[in-house]
Amino acid sequence: MSRLAHTVAVRATGVDMFFGTPENRVVALKQAGFEARRGELIMLVGPSGCGKTTLLSVIAGTLTPQAGAVEVFGQRLDGLGQEALTAFRRRNLGFVFQSFNLIPTLTVAENVMVPLLIQGRPFDEAHARALAILDQVGLKGREEGRPNALSGGQQQRVAIARALVHEPPLLICDEPTSALDKDTGAQIMQMVRDLSRSPERCVVVVTHDHRIFRFADRIAEMEDGRISRVVDDPKLLDTTHL
Amino acid sequence: MYRLALNMLFGDRAKLAMLLCGLAFSALLMAQQSSVFFGIMSWTYTPMVNIRAQVWVSDPMVEQVNDAKPLRDTDLGRVRSVDGVAWAAPLHTSFVQARMQDGNFKLITLVGIDADTFAGAPAVLSQGRIEDLRLPDTVIVDEWGAALMGRMGVGPDGKPRNTPLQVGDTFEINDIQARIVGICRVKRAFTGGPFVYTTYDRAKGYTLGARRTLSFMLVEPQKGVAPAELCDRIERDTGLKAWTSDTVIWSWGERSLARNTFWWFWTNTGIPFSFGTAVLLGLFVGIAISGQTFYSFVLENLRYFAAIKAMGAGMGVIARMLIVQAFTAGLIGFGLGAGMAQAIGRVMIEKGMPPFVMYPQILWATFALVLGISLVSAVIGIIKVSRVDAASVFRG
Ligand SMILES: Nc1ncnc2c1ncn2[C@@H]1O[C@H](COP(=O)(O)OP(=O)(O)OP(=O)(O)O)[C@@H](O)[C@H]1O
Ligand SMILES: [Mg+2]
Repeated sequence: MSRLAHTVAVRATGVDMFFGTPENRVVALKQAGFEARRGELIMLVGPSGCGKTTLLSVIAGTLTPQAGAVEVFGQRLDGLGQEALTAFRRRNLGFVFQSFNLIPTLTVAENVMVPLLIQGRPFDEAHARALAILDQVGLKGREEGRPNALSGGQQQRVAIARALVHEPPLLICDEPTSALDKDTGAQIMQMVRDLSRSPERCVVVVTHDHRIFRFADRIAEMEDGRISRVVDDPKLLDTTHL
Repeated sequence: MYRLALNMLFGDRAKLAMLLCGLAFSALLMAQQSSVFFGIMSWTYTPMVNIRAQVWVSDPMVEQVNDAKPLRDTDLGRVRSVDGVAWAAPLHTSFVQARMQDGNFKLITLVGIDADTFAGAPAVLSQGRIEDLRLPDTVIVDEWGAALMGRMGVGPDGKPRNTPLQVGDTFEINDIQARIVGICRVKRAFTGGPFVYTTYDRAKGYTLGARRTLSFMLVEPQKGVAPAELCDRIERDTGLKAWTSDTVIWSWGERSLARNTFWWFWTNTGIPFSFGTAVLLGLFVGIAISGQTFYSFVLENLRYFAAIKAMGAGMGVIARMLIVQAFTAGLIGFGLGAGMAQAIGRVMIEKGMPPFVMYPQILWATFALVLGISLVSAVIGIIKVSRVDAASVFRG
């Protein structure tokens, strides 16, 4: 039990999340429970509208659920104020978005520096670390260009560099490959796997894309606002209905 | 983060250009209109500049320098006997019609100065000598007046050409001949046309109808007596009104005749209103264009601000980023606008005597207003970004 508690990175229990007005309400999460461990890459899969993004937002502390307990690295998120949540995200989280969200008026390196600068690191230090990690994602030489001059796969690599530059313990990716073609998507997932691998880090990836299931350590399947099953070996998952 | 905020701003050239245009235009409009306003208003107390004396004495009912209420000639003696007065000289000013050789009439400001001391004489004569005013029927005309009263003719190129009056030319004031013996360089006036200087006694002749001709007395304090102090003594001893001649309208010296003239025109004419409207217009145009452009800049970057928020930047940091962006644009916009206003002013000054006085205070006020516009823009942006949900970064 204590060994298990030590390895738990994210634990959500009994989470309810609705949107809209009381008369016209959409239930996004219904008594949802979820657990992710340190050192693993877990995927969250399920049909459109089942609540994957909502659950991810709850774990990331960008959405506060109406009910339930959320614990990330031993820190209870429910009950935290906006400011504390913001500070929590700043220290613990890296994000990779479906639509990259790279700032087009900044250079590639500047985009990667953002999480460090938000943490208040000096500009030069942030710049040096951005260059180092851009080298790791294979974008040496593109640092001072604009993101829009890069291909989709390259842009997502910039986003991965940005998500990991401050070495966050929790990496959150929402549909990281759905804007990319098959081969590029596989490369991106390979990169996420290689770069984020660390015994302390937990990676949660929401995806529709069964072609990348093989990169997961475990897969959690969602249905109607809750986790319906967790599969330890991705090969066992029946992907025909996804 | 602020360095990145600036790079975000400078990265969008088109928006930046538009933003700067709005701010610069508004700064230009505000600074230029205010300068013209103060330029015109400075014309109202032109006599204070052109007729130089430390202390002016007038009838107690006088409120401003263009509105002289005649004094008795005996008042001169009473003022001269006030302790601390070195000398006191009579001054006549009036607006009269002058008849040109071609039969045209022109309104002039007739200034009669004391022939013994020449107290109140123009500072700069570009032609002639002041002493020649002691010759019969003589006057000194200012350069602008010489051109205004000049003869229209046809030049060698066939185009109409104006020949300014010169030394030796004559015209008539109330059928009495006036012969020009000098041309002086003085400041232009708001009312009453060009300055025509003559002696006090001859001015009496030129204005035959007037019963009393002593408009003001020009007084020189004895060494060591402050003008304001002497004014107090003159008022106490004679019951007349005494003024200092400083023309710094910003100082709150109640005794300054220039300042009182300025405020008299401020409260009794529509000039401040019409220029105030132009300045307000500049302000609104600035707020409209800059606020709008900055808002669209924020809208365009909204999802990035949301992403930055999700990554853990608090609203405080984001607000400061937006303020840095808006104020930087404001600073540059102000620089451009004020620079243009200065350039326009310089061109105007080269073209003659324009109503253009750009006090440093005008620049400071314009600067403050432009920063105010930036602040409004930043606040609108901050409100917009504060409403966007960090969770929205996962959508689309
Ligand atoms: N901000 C919101 N306001 C209203 N309804 C919302 C909001 N966010 C999500 N929903 C609703 O909650 C439900 C779950 O949405 P969510 O985005 O979590 O699904 P998803 O599994 O990520 O779907 P997809 O695979 O299409 O991304 C949906 O019915 C959605 O319409
Ligand atoms: Mg989703």
